[in-house]
Amino acid sequence: MKAVHYVNQFFAGLGGEDKAETPPTRLDGAVGPGRGLAAELGDVEIVATLACGDDYFAEHEEEAVATLLGYLEQDRPDVLVAGPAFGSGRYGYACGTLAAAAAERGIPSVAAMHPENPGVDAAGKAYVVPTAVNVAGMRDALPRLARMVSALGAGRGLGTSDEEGYLPRGFRRNYFAEKTGAERAIDLLLAKLGGETRTEVGGGLDRVEPPAAVPDLSEALVALVTEAGCVPQGNPDRLPSVRAQGWFRYDLNGEETLASARYESVHGGFDVTLANEDPNRLVPLDTARELVREGRIGRLHEAFYTTTGNGTPVVTATRFGREIAGELREAGVGAVLLSGT
Amino acid sequence: MAWELATFSADLLREPEPLEGVSVEIVRPGDPVRVTHVLDAVEPRIRPDGRPAFPTEGKAGEGRTNRLDGVVVLSCLDFPGEERPLHEQESIVDLAGPGAAFTPYAQETCVVLTFEPSRNGNEDAEAAARRTTLQVAEGLAEPTLDTQPVEVECFEIGSADGSLPAVAVLIQLSDLGPLYHQYVYGTPAGQAGLPRIVDPAELLDGAVTSGEYHWAAMRNPTICFQRNALVRSLYAEHGKRLRFAGAVLMRGYEQSADDKQRAAEAAAARAQELGAEGVVITTDAGGNSHTDVMLTCRACELAGIRTTVILAEETDPESTRPILTDWVPEADAIVSTGNLEELVEEWKPERVFGGDTLLDGTAAANAGPIPVRNYLGAANQMGQLTLGARTE
Amino acid sequence: MYVTSLPTVATMIGANRIIRGPAITHPFGLDADERRRIVERALELLETEVEANTVWGVAE
Repeated sequence: MKAVHYVNQFFAGLGGEDKAETPPTRLDGAVGPGRGLAAELGDVEIVATLACGDDYFAEHEEEAVATLLGYLEQDRPDVLVAGPAFGSGRYGYACGTLAAAAAERGIPSVAAMHPENPGVDAAGKAYVVPTAVNVAGMRDALPRLARMVSALGAGRGLGTSDEEGYLPRGFRRNYFAEKTGAERAIDLLLAKLGGETRTEVGGGLDRVEPPAAVPDLSEALVALVTEAGCVPQGNPDRLPSVRAQGWFRYDLNGEETLASARYESVHGGFDVTLANEDPNRLVPLDTARELVREGRIGRLHEAFYTTTGNGTPVVTATRFGREIAGELREAGVGAVLLSGT
Repeated sequence: MAWELATFSADLLREPEPLEGVSVEIVRPGDPVRVTHVLDAVEPRIRPDGRPAFPTEGKAGEGRTNRLDGVVVLSCLDFPGEERPLHEQESIVDLAGPGAAFTPYAQETCVVLTFEPSRNGNEDAEAAARRTTLQVAEGLAEPTLDTQPVEVECFEIGSADGSLPAVAVLIQLSDLGPLYHQYVYGTPAGQAGLPRIVDPAELLDGAVTSGEYHWAAMRNPTICFQRNALVRSLYAEHGKRLRFAGAVLMRGYEQSADDKQRAAEAAAARAQELGAEGVVITTDAGGNSHTDVMLTCRACELAGIRTTVILAEETDPESTRPILTDWVPEADAIVSTGNLEELVEEWKPERVFGGDTLLDGTAAANAGPIPVRNYLGAANQMGQLTLGARTE
Repeated sequence: MYVTSLPTVATMIGANRIIRGPAITHPFGLDADERRRIVERALELLETEVEANTVWGVAE
């Protein structure tokens, strides 16, 4: 099995801070701490060492990553190992970023650094083995790093972060606990009543920087968007009633109202009887037209956007939002009336 | 008020009468069978005193009820057509293979009833299927009337040390209209005067039945009430780590913002009447029922009652943070009954009952990996099972 | 500008301008008058600077 090892200019023996601008380069075999790592690896051979100056990586990230991935393409290793970077932020960031990029391309990757190194967040799907904050921790880190390299190189399915000694990557994975959810709920409640609040899963509030207020709506182009599953009668594009994979844009064709003969809702999360009697109850086209006539709103965008917000993973819905917003921005839309159910 | 639950061995099982418009299959434990289009799972029960096992009047949870151990009735129906309000979602039980771990029936004998729907529409078909399933469940337990139980459990909340914390349970039931009903003594949850205090034994003794057919993994089939782990655990813990203060049934899917808020506050008020210092709040199904749970959590906390919530996650496996349907900052102690989006390894059953083709058109015998989402009750949000999720 | 009867969900996902609509089945109300009141309230909120999740109700 083959591994490629990434280090910075210092650990590659190219120089210190004075060589931090060194562009990516490839050296044969193991270099510097790579030799110590190689000694711990049984059946995995470090065939090449990639090195890059920490400043170069920070200032030319895209090119650096591209070049390094190019080297990996040539060497085709079974695993990429990066670091240990310990507490060095720039080095750790480079290790994490490269490891993440390699993992995206299907190369099992593991980096090593201190748990508070900013590079940990950059590591994405790659694994990170925790180390001490400085190089005094090298002797301790190498065997643990080597175990992960061997496991990844061999394609052995990894256990939990606790079992294998890597930092939790943030992915949620199912498992069968020893106790039922009911028993765990009683435990959590009694703990809370005893003053110790614990949770098995955390919620959180997403924060989005609020856009500035619309300075003058009478000049603005306003669009109607909905997740209420409002579609033309017959649902010609087969918008799903649950777990929608996309959204649709429908031209309003100058219509003054969303007539029940021409529109319906296919949303599977609520009773659409009232909505189908008068689709304006979901997407207030008639009111919007009135307000344009009165000059309260400048203009109404000539299409409305729709999807079904029912069992849609947040990640997917975020993508929808981004895509729709992109089109709206292109069209010069300044404000959106979004309806939800 | 005491209630006894007597267990009988499955040795008493006799071949059931075939039912018109339905096929019956008996599946032994471990048989490599996949069951599809599953509506409900019910444990056979009968009362020696002749009162119905699934009553529509009176009060359950008194006297004695017999249960047949090791037998489960699974009802299946492929609804005839896409007809409002139903938006069918697939519901599967695997009795062997990797999926078997996600539902609790693989170790039991399953009596699979596959109903042939009539042309009268979804609601009539469903009502007949549900009625028949409960009748079969009661009929299967008939042999228990002639013999002695192997075990009798007594459910009674006696006095307990006043210094123990008083804990109640708030159980969410769904009502989103026809085909999305859960029933309290045969009445849809939305018409059953919820939130309402009940004797926890009523919950275990057939007062609540299920007639809802969306969100397979997140919904609570009838057996989850009959065998309710949370209520059983609270009975067991009474006098030890806590005082079991009682149970409140509350409705999910209140349809207006005001109704949701009112119901949440009313549920908190019921909990206060019970003298609860802490409550476990359960969830049924998905979507805006989670909002009802969160508002109830907030209302309880604001009333000084500490809360724990049980719910399932819908986390994209590529996401590096968990994804919940709804959340309020007061919900700081949540039990996760698993992530719906994870895939269960592919398995090819030797036989399929319920229907050969899944709702998405794939062959049930060769469907590839199936998300946890599609396994009946796999991520049920009353904490019946041991499934959970953790960050790795 | 998000009109919904589930302001807890809207807050969770980071919406900043939220109008609390009357019902899941009809977020803009039942009749044209109610709809008009809700939309006008929404327009007011669009014209208002906010710093974080802001939920407004609509007067009867």
